[in-house]
Amino acid sequence: MQALLLVLVIAGGMGLSIEAGLLGPLGQQVGDLWATFSIFGVGAALTFLLMLFFSPRNAPSLFAQPGWQLTGGILGAGYVIVLTLATPVIGVAMTMIGILAGQVFKSLIIDHFGLFGTPHRKIDARRVYALIFIIIALALVAMS
Amino acid sequence: MSLIMIILAVAGGALLSIQAAINGQLGSKVGIFRSAFLTFSVGALVTALLIVFFEPKQTLTLFDVPKWQLIGALFGVPYIVIMVLAVQRIGTAVATVAVIFGQLTMSMLIDNFGWLNNPAIPFSPTRLAAVVCLGIALYFIYSGSVSANTTGETDGSTANAPR
Repeated sequence: MQALLLVLVIAGGMGLSIEAGLLGPLGQQVGDLWATFSIFGVGAALTFLLMLFFSPRNAPSLFAQPGWQLTGGILGAGYVIVLTLATPVIGVAMTMIGILAGQVFKSLIIDHFGLFGTPHRKIDARRVYALIFIIIALALVAMS
Repeated sequence: MSLIMIILAVAGGALLSIQAAINGQLGSKVGIFRSAFLTFSVGALVTALLIVFFEPKQTLTLFDVPKWQLIGALFGVPYIVIMVLAVQRIGTAVATVAVIFGQLTMSMLIDNFGWLNNPAIPFSPTRLAAVVCLGIALYFIYSGSVSANTTGETDGSTANAPR
């Protein structure tokens, strides 16, 4: 089950690079914010349909949740605007390296302290080795 | 200018992992699709507000470009759904590293072949070495997470199940 999820998540990551590759050239043609809007507009339409037909009927309302748990869209908009702005200037690979650096450090901190209500996971030696290899990988791509 | 963009990109990555953690929590309560719809509709509203006040006039609109340039959301929607599913079960760090692996592999391919109208940057031995390092890192984080689940007093499959 975990291995299957891992494969799915890798495919999801590939999708992110494709999205970034599409956004850069699009932003230069129609404007960065319009390019970002196309992502969220189409995405909102798609997920509305998915929600309408497949969402559990007895799930609690979004309005019953604490406000801070509803900020995913604001954070997501920030991320997509960054992609659109950065890729034409520094290229897809360099943008991804920057995104990766931010993700790795932040997610280790989230896991370590169990922030935002996620399960608390201690950073063990293997996680530190992993971080070292990630930094080496990032440096290698930055050099080439 | 390049340095500002790199700093922006790092901040963007941090935003993305915070978003994954928050949406993992929300999705476990209200459902994946409701949580994803919230993300996209709020994102669309925020961007629409920004366009109204800050976007300079453009000569081309979204309706003038080839349709294939507009399918980015078809990759973004599966990503959010996958992350909402995965973050509760395999942890934020493992999910993030797996995403990194997919991202890096695909960005190498896009760069190498110059797909989607991007300038071509050929694959090199240093880039191959980077992919190998990333594979090793993925193994370390994954094995660390699996043993943390199995050595705990509760069953690994239920310890992180959505509530």
